This record gives sequence, C-alpha cells and structure tokens, in this order.
Amino acid sequence: MGIITVDKSNHLFWLGRYTERVHTTLKYYLKTADMMIDSDPNYYAVLCEKIGISDVYGSSERFKKKYPFDETDPNSIISNLNRAYDNAIVMRDYIGTETMAYIQLAIDDIKNAEKSNSPIADIMLVIDHILAFWGCVNDIIDDEQIRNIIKLGKGIERLDLYLCLTIPDYYIKKEYKRMKNFLQKSKLRYDESILYTLDNMLSENELNYESIKNLVRNLILE
Amino acid sequence: MDDLIKNSETINRLLARYGVKFGIYKNGEFKEQLFPFDPIPRIIKKDEFSYLERGLRQRVNALNCFLSDIYGKKQIVRDGIIPEEFIFSAKGFLAPCDGVSPPKNIYSHISGIDLVQSKNDNWYILEDNLRVPSGASYPMIARELQRRSAPDVFTDNSVADNRNYAELLKEVMDNVNTGGINVILSPGRYNAAFFEHSYLAEKTGAVLTTGKDMVCENDNLYYIDYNGKKQRVGAVYRRISDEYLDPMTFYEESVIGIPHIFEAYKKGNTAIINAPGNGVADDKGIYYFVPKMIKYYLGEDAILMNAPTYLPYYEEDMKYVLSNFDNLVIKDVAEAGGYGVVFGRSLTSDKKSDFIEMLKSQPRRFIAQEIIDFYDLDILDENNVRVPRKADLRAFVLTGKTTKVWASGLTRFSRNPDSFIVNSSQGGGFKDTWVLSR
Repeated sequence: MGIITVDKSNHLFWLGRYTERVHTTLKYYLKTADMMIDSDPNYYAVLCEKIGISDVYGSSERFKKKYPFDETDPNSIISNLNRAYDNAIVMRDYIGTETMAYIQLAIDDIKNAEKSNSPIADIMLVIDHILAFWGCVNDIIDDEQIRNIIKLGKGIERLDLYLCLTIPDYYIKKEYKRMKNFLQKSKLRYDESILYTLDNMLSENELNYESIKNLVRNLILE
Repeated sequence: MDDLIKNSETINRLLARYGVKFGIYKNGEFKEQLFPFDPIPRIIKKDEFSYLERGLRQRVNALNCFLSDIYGKKQIVRDGIIPEEFIFSAKGFLAPCDGVSPPKNIYSHISGIDLVQSKNDNWYILEDNLRVPSGASYPMIARELQRRSAPDVFTDNSVADNRNYAELLKEVMDNVNTGGINVILSPGRYNAAFFEHSYLAEKTGAVLTTGKDMVCENDNLYYIDYNGKKQRVGAVYRRISDEYLDPMTFYEESVIGIPHIFEAYKKGNTAIINAPGNGVADDKGIYYFVPKMIKYYLGEDAILMNAPTYLPYYEEDMKYVLSNFDNLVIKDVAEAGGYGVVFGRSLTSDKKSDFIEMLKSQPRRFIAQEIIDFYDLDILDENNVRVPRKADLRAFVLTGKTTKVWASGLTRFSRNPDSFIVNSSQGGGFKDTWVLSR
C-alpha cells in the first residue's frame, strides 16, 4: 500500500475537495436559512450567485428543500456528498473502512434529515460526520502523502469557496498558508509561477479576490 | 444466541455503514444494494468440519492435478477417464493456456466449493468455483461486527476465529509471487463484488487497481506511480474473468484487461490468481467426473459426494433423465449464478416438450441432478420470526504451500420460501458460518 498513481492521487484530491465542498456549503446553507427567517427572505439568491450556481429554485422555500436534498440537482449538497462517496469507495484500501464509513454516515444523515420534522436542525449531523471523517484522516491514515493529498484537496476547495463568498482577507490568508503547507507535502505537481504570483498577491493589504480565485483554480497541474 | 438475534438490526446498520453492498444492474441502471445478513449462524461441529476439511482438500488437490494435466499431457483423456468432448468443447478450456505452467504449478489458489447438507446429514458438493469465487469478505466483516454487538456469545461458544482469511490470502499471493508487489485487479467500482475487492485489498495490503495504472513491458508487468516510476508486479489476484484479462490474447474488445499480461504470465514473470483457463475444471459437465479424477490422480475414493448427476450425453443417462424428468433439476453448463437452472416439475407441458427437444439436440449442454432435499436453516423474516429457508455453504479452500480450508464460509440462503436459489443476485441473503473449535 502507499504507492500513489495518477488515478489514485485524483481520487484522493477530489475526495478532499468534495467533502470540503459539502462542509462549507452546508455551513453557509445553515447561515442562509437563518437569514431568511427574519432578515432577507431572498438571501438564498445571494448565496447562489456567490458560489456560482444558477438559481433554479425560484423561492426560498424551494431552495431550503431542494439545495441540500435533491439528488437530481448536480449542485446540491447531497450530489456533492455522493461524489465524495464515489471517490472514497475506490480508495478504501488507502483510507481504510473506518474512515470511509463517515462519508456513508453523512449520506445517511442527510437522507434522514430530509425525512425528519426539522430537516435544518437534523442536517447539522452531517457536519459532525464530516468532522469525524477529517479526524480519521489525521488519525488512521499512516501514509503522510495520502493524508496530504486529501488535505490539499480540502485546502484548495476551502480557499476557492472562501474567495467566492468574499470572506474577510484574514481568513483567506490563513487558509492560503495552510493549503501551501499541504501542497508541498502532497508532492503533487503544481505551477510554480502561479504559486509565486499568489505569494505576492496574498502579501498585499488589499486582496484581489477574483484574480486570486482564478490562479488558485489553475495551480495544480493535471 | 438471543443476543445475536436482538442485535440483528444493529449489525445490518453497521454493514451499511461500512459499505457492505453489492452492485446490481436493473433495467440498464447500476444500483447498490445491501446484502441482507441474517444473525443466526450456521454451526458446524469440530468433527464435522474435520471431515469436510479432508474432503475439500482432497477435491481441490485433485482439481489442481487435473488442470495441470489438461494443460499439459492430457493423460486423463488418453486413459479414457474423461471423454475429450468434455474438455475441448468446454467454454472454460482456453487453448492459449495449453502448455503453460503457472508459478509453482498451482492453478486454483482460491477455490469456492458450494455444498449442501441433506436431511440424512450427508454433505453433497453442488459445484466447484475455480475462476473468481467471491464471498469470503462478507462473513469476515459480519463476524467482526457480531463480536462487538454480542461479545458474550463468543465467550460462551468456542468459535474458530475466521478473521484470518486475509492472512491466508496474503500467504497464497506471497507463495507464488515472482518478485514485486501484490495487486488485486478489479473491473472497478461498478462491479457487483467491488466491496470485496476493496476490502480484501485493505486487509491484505495488496494494491487495488483497475489496470489503468499497469503496463507490460518486455514480458514483465509493472505498476506505474504518480512520478512514472515502475514497480514490478509479482502476483495479480484478478477479479475479472478470463476472457477480459488480456485483449491481446482473449476478448480483443476488452477495455478492463491489461494488454500482454498473458505473455508476462506465460514467461513466468508474474503469477495470476487464479490461473487463466480454470473454467475447464469447474464446468458443470466436468463436475460429474471429479470423483473419477480423485481416484485417478490421488488413488483415493472421494470423501465428499457429488449430488447424483446424469449426463444426457450418455445414452443411458439420457433415458433416465427423460423418464424421471419431473424429479430432476436440469442445469445449463454454460450458465452460472443460479441462472439456467430448471426444475423439471415446474415446467408446463408445452415448455417441457420444448425443453426436452432442446435437451435431445444439445445433450452436452446440460446436466441433470436429483433434487437433494437439503436442510433448511432458520432465518429471521421481516417480522423477526424464525422461519426455515433453503441454504447452501460456500467453503473457501486456499492453496499455497499447502492446501487449507478456511474455518468458516459463506452461508447463503433463499428468502423466498418456495425457492432453492440462494444467489445474492437473485435476492438471497447471507449468514456467518461458525466452526466450533472444540
């Protein structure tokens, strides 16, 4: 075990990306649902625009019901969770049955939440199991490179989403630093000139979110 | 035992949690299903297992001798023990394997032998699976979970630990490894048994691959890492069938095989587990001859009996089959997985006449067997009530330095009260198999 191939590195990387996509979008879904209670009933449209998905929902109620649970919507949280599962299941021998189980449990949570009387409260269990998954990645996977490829995927995805969501620059800089650490340890190929440019841009006081986002998206080489 | 029953739902939930599923295609769409687990184990006493162990080792050793002979001198045919039509017309006989000897001359490293126990306590062999038998991982993981859910049951009963299967499998791979890493070659995520492939890779430390990362060069097989560095592959536990293994030698349209792997194998540079061409020995037509093989190669009488079988190929047997049609089960030798099985008594008169015509025109295609009234085992139905159902046992026999029988097995059962078909693809479930250690 432990021999990383192009195919396996892809699965590990995207496992990290999709789990993080579920984690961050779910957190912002919960925040959006809260905003829609008594602040801005159409706030969901802002979230859709920021994360670059089309507003196919038409109303806040439909958004609340569809965005987390609709498996036919490729942008839904469950669709991203299924993609995380698809990448995890083919890497059982690298990440371990125990680690993989937390993705399955998160899927069970989201399906149970859909059927529950309080879906928005129950969906929080998904976050618990995603965090447990990350705990397992740290605790169970012995191979440092495997761990770091997954974390690199997580780091890139988080950075991308934070840039989309225009999170304050302090957090962007913090996540960039973490991601860079995983990048070096993952031993994946990346564009050195992009990294150099990013280093410079991230050291400025005012960040150009759009340019940084585009560079981050092109950092890892196929 | 009550503790096991009480925790049945927990175990099935945990099996789902760990992704213990099998894939199935329905209307062209891939679906993953849970393999229903029944908490009441099949229990085999120590003495009974010793008897089965002797019989199974004998059978698999003879089958390995047969394969070596058939792809070598073919002495058993020359000596008139098996008619040559049964060898060369068998779908599983692969001409490219003729004259090829696998590492350490082992052909069937992992043999899945299906047995049933009749109501008079006799065990009968139903079929031999010497190509890619699957199913060991299910009782392995179920045992692990049951030990957690009802530990006292295992303290109070002396049950042989079955969690050594991965260790036995690794020994088998290491024994024939020609130098390099062990890999498990899977058709991929959408194969019915993908759970098993990935679980066994995790437990044996072999690399799981779909072949995309492998290449043959100069008759050697390599696994290519992210940086393009080649690692030699010494043993391939393949979970894809013979015809898809190498598009250069077998089915040329195969996209899941590895071009030239057969050449690497032929030159003795990598082991393939199980060896290509084993299908000739687990052909339903050849099954009839296994007791004769045991006598021929080992000079012993078969310890375990075949179900009484008739070959319509022989005139006398054809007469018997036609006059006892309603009492027999007829099997198409080319089919597997519970398909191609016809119970004579279940056919309408029209269908019966059509079938008999087919039987007469293609006698080599079918075998007929007496229906064994085998033991029902209790299972829990959907209302948690114990009900009897037909069940078989797949025993796993592993051939490395020696031939060993895994002290457990996959007990499959039919959930339909009127059915003898236990295959998971046809809705069956599974049980753990306990071998008592005292």
